[in-house]
Amino acid sequence: MNRVARMFMLVTIVLVGGAVESRVQSPPTLPATQASSVRFAWVDAVIDPQGQPLAAYQFELKAESADVTLVGVEGGEHPAYVEPPYYDPKANLQNRIVIAAFNTGEDLPKTRTRVARVMVRVSGTGQPRYSAKLDVCASSDAKPINASISVMEGAAQ
Amino acid sequence: MKLKTCRRMALILFATLAAWIVIGCSVARDAAIMSARSSNTSEEPDLRSGFVTPQARKERLGSHDEEVWVIAKPPEERLAPRFDEPMPGEGQLMARRNEAGKKLVAVPLKHTDVKASIIGYIASVDVRQQYENPYDEKIEAVYVFPLPQNAAVNEFLMTVGTRKIRGIIRERQEAQQIYQQAKQQGYVASLLMQERPNVFTQAVANIEPGKRIDIDIRYFNTLSYVDGYYEFVFPMVVGPRFNPPGFTDGIGAVARGARESSGQKTQVQYLAPDKRSGHDIALAVQIDAGVPIDNIDSRNHQISVKNLRNNKAEVSLKEGDRIPNRDFVLRYKVAGESVKPALIAQRDGTGGYFTLMLLPPEQLKHLPRQPLEFVFTIDVSGSQRGQPLEQEKAATRYALTHMGPEDTFQVIRFGNTARKLFDVPQPADAAHVRQALQWIDGFDATEGTMLVDGVRASLLFPHDQSHTRYVAFMTDGYIGNEAEALGEIHRCLGPARLFSFGVGQATNRYLLDHMAIMGRGAAAYLGLNDDAGQIMGWYFQRISHPAMSDIAIDWGNAKVHDVYPRQLPDLFVGRPVIVTGRFEGELPKSVTLRAKVGREQQQIEVPVERADASFPPALPAVWARMKIADLADRATYEPGIDLPGQIRNLAMEYNLMSDYTAFVAVDSQTKTAGDHGTTIAVPVPVPEGVRYETTVQEAGNVQPATQVN
Repeated sequence: MNRVARMFMLVTIVLVGGAVESRVQSPPTLPATQASSVRFAWVDAVIDPQGQPLAAYQFELKAESADVTLVGVEGGEHPAYVEPPYYDPKANLQNRIVIAAFNTGEDLPKTRTRVARVMVRVSGTGQPRYSAKLDVCASSDAKPINASISVMEGAAQ
Repeated sequence: MKLKTCRRMALILFATLAAWIVIGCSVARDAAIMSARSSNTSEEPDLRSGFVTPQARKERLGSHDEEVWVIAKPPEERLAPRFDEPMPGEGQLMARRNEAGKKLVAVPLKHTDVKASIIGYIASVDVRQQYENPYDEKIEAVYVFPLPQNAAVNEFLMTVGTRKIRGIIRERQEAQQIYQQAKQQGYVASLLMQERPNVFTQAVANIEPGKRIDIDIRYFNTLSYVDGYYEFVFPMVVGPRFNPPGFTDGIGAVARGARESSGQKTQVQYLAPDKRSGHDIALAVQIDAGVPIDNIDSRNHQISVKNLRNNKAEVSLKEGDRIPNRDFVLRYKVAGESVKPALIAQRDGTGGYFTLMLLPPEQLKHLPRQPLEFVFTIDVSGSQRGQPLEQEKAATRYALTHMGPEDTFQVIRFGNTARKLFDVPQPADAAHVRQALQWIDGFDATEGTMLVDGVRASLLFPHDQSHTRYVAFMTDGYIGNEAEALGEIHRCLGPARLFSFGVGQATNRYLLDHMAIMGRGAAAYLGLNDDAGQIMGWYFQRISHPAMSDIAIDWGNAKVHDVYPRQLPDLFVGRPVIVTGRFEGELPKSVTLRAKVGREQQQIEVPVERADASFPPALPAVWARMKIADLADRATYEPGIDLPGQIRNLAMEYNLMSDYTAFVAVDSQTKTAGDHGTTIAVPVPVPEGVRYETTVQEAGNVQPATQVN
């Protein structure tokens, strides 16, 4: 299947089938190393495509109890998603963090994989509670995937 | 109902995804580029050791036979230049470059790599800056560099080792704050800010000794098409600017290692004439002209041309010509009359966009012009001393001896002040021409650059209604108060037309192009290797025929909006204009151009083309960049409106650099030890042909060009 056809199918599946949504509360985050009004951390986004080849995703990262700002985004661990994904500049204007990528290649992850590492600035002394909403998730044959997403924070020591 | 809602939501989400991926370029293209670049990683230093030994450095640098410099101390002592030295890096050099005996200076910017791809008249350009810390302490590197004035910069990546981090567009002040906080806390971070539409500052924080950090920038821009040639320009150095007394928002020019500030918001450090840095540049351009290419040439550099066939060509800088001290100007001619007016349309999730190249019709060449009132305005500031001034004089000599018998003329020189030759314009007869030639022969260039005074002197005198006034304004444009100059042209222009001539090897093209836009004329560039008579001859040829004025476009039933430039300029022979806009629904098969030529009305049909899949996803960014330029021009003469707010929102929405937005990238994973180290500015050479002693502020001195009256 050529790239154009694959892209067309990816778009079509979303139009026909609607978005797959998954919402998973993040595991407990790491404690802050020290009380500081501003600190930097990263949030790993991990998607489990449940055995299906993951060809496209889009998720929104949310944080409660703290002011979290997007300051960079890195790719994931699978070669298909190792390049930095894109962020939505319009969402960014509204202080929302929306991340997405797709890959039209053959070698796609089918099991749980980190797709992005989101660099954030955390302002205030509160500990953010992260969650993610998977807006789009599709397989290489352009079918929606009933995938799950989880997020977890890490911080340099 | 639920299914319908779900589908609608999905449609919106995916359309949005498609839109911002297109705005930020295609993933597939990125992957290809990154893959190509990752194959070069064998050149990268061994970052695991955290320190590059002098021997390793020597071996690595040894591959560049012309450029060998090593840190003097043995590796076990790890004593690179200390930052309390007046010139970090100086005195550490054991070898000199194998040419001209110039002393090499270690700088944290090692190399710039430029890869451009041109399809039609749209260029997609990737710039990689390789920063490397040659010192034994942690540093912050700061580099002020140029890009084309119409570059739509919409992508920014920071590479730390093998990890790539995408930078985020933010409001400028917020980006600066994030960067400073990350820097203070020891994180590797980078910040890209726009100082002028063609001048940028890149800062990279917490580079540890021996470590390398790469910055990748991508932009789109449109090429100019001048007198039958497409022109691709990549500027390589910011020229030293003059800032009028009391002005602090400019770009200061100081000597390398200067402890004192120039007092300007942005500051560039320049290398003394007997020094050069180890920073070099590689540049490669792939051209897909869409029509046969007749001829390719580079005005300032030696180039290699490969695979010139099937409407395509590959161009690269030759190995021996990689010092970034002048603009790279690539010109290529396409066959015969194959360039025609054409509209290219492209759609994405945010709607439809188009660019339209308007070309004046051939029949204009058969119509003679009316008598003109010529004004020749000559920059005699310190940066023009030597060759640039000689080029200005040669061009003016040509012009003075090629006017028509019914023309009138005036000559004006400006430096610290502006002076005119005649009280009022005089007939272009032999006696007056002789008087003018003698006057310009006596010019020397040692003064400041009060360009605004030159604008006023050229435009603010009584206008002879029977002669249209054409001002030929010659300058390198090295001033810091560009906005003031542009605003003054808007206020003073009246029915005149202003044509700017950029004289030199690395002129301020932002100012010169926008002087022509504001002046409803055209810009031309006169390099030091050009034939001044030929460049001025082209100008005379261009204005020897009437221009198309009062241009209006009939879009038929199409819903077209946000067309830029808002006021369509006059069309001169050999000088097309690119118009961009947005549309809803369908475009017709052709649009109609109506304009006045002299007293007659003319009409041209322009066919509409759809961009095919190979066309870069550039039109949304190009449109947004042109709208930002239009808003910025308006801001120079409409200060009461919140145009900055409009620019900021547009730039944020389209992921673009602007005066009010910046890219920031923080690697939260890489926290370095200790404080944030010393800030090291990357010094640059003065542009070729520009004299250091008349343009750069040495320690304790006032700006040199202001000293002479």
